[in-house]
Amino acid sequence: MDCRFVPSVCSYCGTGCGVLYEVIDGKIHSTLPLKTHPVNQGKLCIKGWSLHEHVNSFMRLKQPLVKTFGRFIKTDWDEAIQIVADRFRDIISKHGPDSVGVLVSAKITNEENYLAQKFARAVIGTNNVDHCARL
Amino acid sequence: MQQTVKNWLSQGIVDIFLGYKRCHGHALPHCFCMEKLEEVDELVESPARYSLEKIATHIAAQKPDLKIGLLARDCNQRALKVLTIWNQLRSDQFKMLNLNCCPSGLKKHADCSYLEPGTPGAYKKQVGIDNTMSLNDVQAFTDEERLSRWMYEFQKCLKCYGCRNICPVCFCEDCSLEHNDLVGTGKLPPEVPIFHLVRAVHMAGRCIDCGLCEDACPVDIPLRLLYRKVNDLFAELFDYDTGIREDPSPFNVIGTEVSLTPRPMVNQ
Repeated sequence: MDCRFVPSVCSYCGTGCGVLYEVIDGKIHSTLPLKTHPVNQGKLCIKGWSLHEHVNSFMRLKQPLVKTFGRFIKTDWDEAIQIVADRFRDIISKHGPDSVGVLVSAKITNEENYLAQKFARAVIGTNNVDHCARL
Repeated sequence: MQQTVKNWLSQGIVDIFLGYKRCHGHALPHCFCMEKLEEVDELVESPARYSLEKIATHIAAQKPDLKIGLLARDCNQRALKVLTIWNQLRSDQFKMLNLNCCPSGLKKHADCSYLEPGTPGAYKKQVGIDNTMSLNDVQAFTDEERLSRWMYEFQKCLKCYGCRNICPVCFCEDCSLEHNDLVGTGKLPPEVPIFHLVRAVHMAGRCIDCGLCEDACPVDIPLRLLYRKVNDLFAELFDYDTGIREDPSPFNVIGTEVSLTPRPMVNQ
């Protein structure tokens, strides 16, 4: 019997509510609000309450899919990233770097957001960066 | 406390023990076991209160033969009684380490996170219902005023289902609050007051007045007051004190013969 309680931060929006995962035998059984967390003080919205559902969902993507001739084909990360890089290079050489935009997310960390804008500016060469929390 | 838990675990009186342990400064629920007996030294009484008995039902559903020990405050003890009555736990599946927490003659304050309800703002006092009110104070409003005050509280609802999710005695597989014919989807606030009243009716004879629902409500709806009223009516009609009595609730009709003698409701 392995029952653990893992404190974490809700991954849905930029608020950063504290959540507590109830993990029974390696599977997240339910999500609880972290009572002593200074941000949410023991309260959660419906998305936070159902965090475990998308972790356990059978529809969750576990490997990259590449759309080839209208169908999604399962592939590995190396190949998927290579395909993305090739297509980006094509588009940038044909239409210029400003034809690409980068949309980042509140669901990823601050550091990852920093990296994404760095990628947009230094690698692609565009200032087209936006974020879902810039309302 | 630590020594008792160590004894229980090492003598095999319980297989696992649900208590609290400090982790990154937060007192969090923790599952103590025989293999990591040294962890028991870090067992604490948490100021925050989690529904350990609900966690115990989740574990018991997967491992019915496990004997679960748990730290039981007054509200946990009442919830465990209700869960046993409603066949969610067998009484041989758990062992309580009782902890006095609620206010009593000797101490004024509870030891848990629900120390004192927050002071309501002026607007809430004017048009809504103050969470710290007594039932009699609410009853003193005229019918129209009471309705409008309750409606003000209900229409704030975000439909987060927090009250249901955190409730230690909510265990149904199919919840009426997710039933399309009863509660429509895709609208905010949810259909008031039916959403809250459906839940209130289901709390009759089950609610143990632990206050976790009100604690988890992001918009401060005085749910505890509502369910207390429902339970008062229940006690009056069926002469049954929820959480104290150990015989089946009058609403628990499955498997046993029904022998109810409902009394007429007296107008107050």
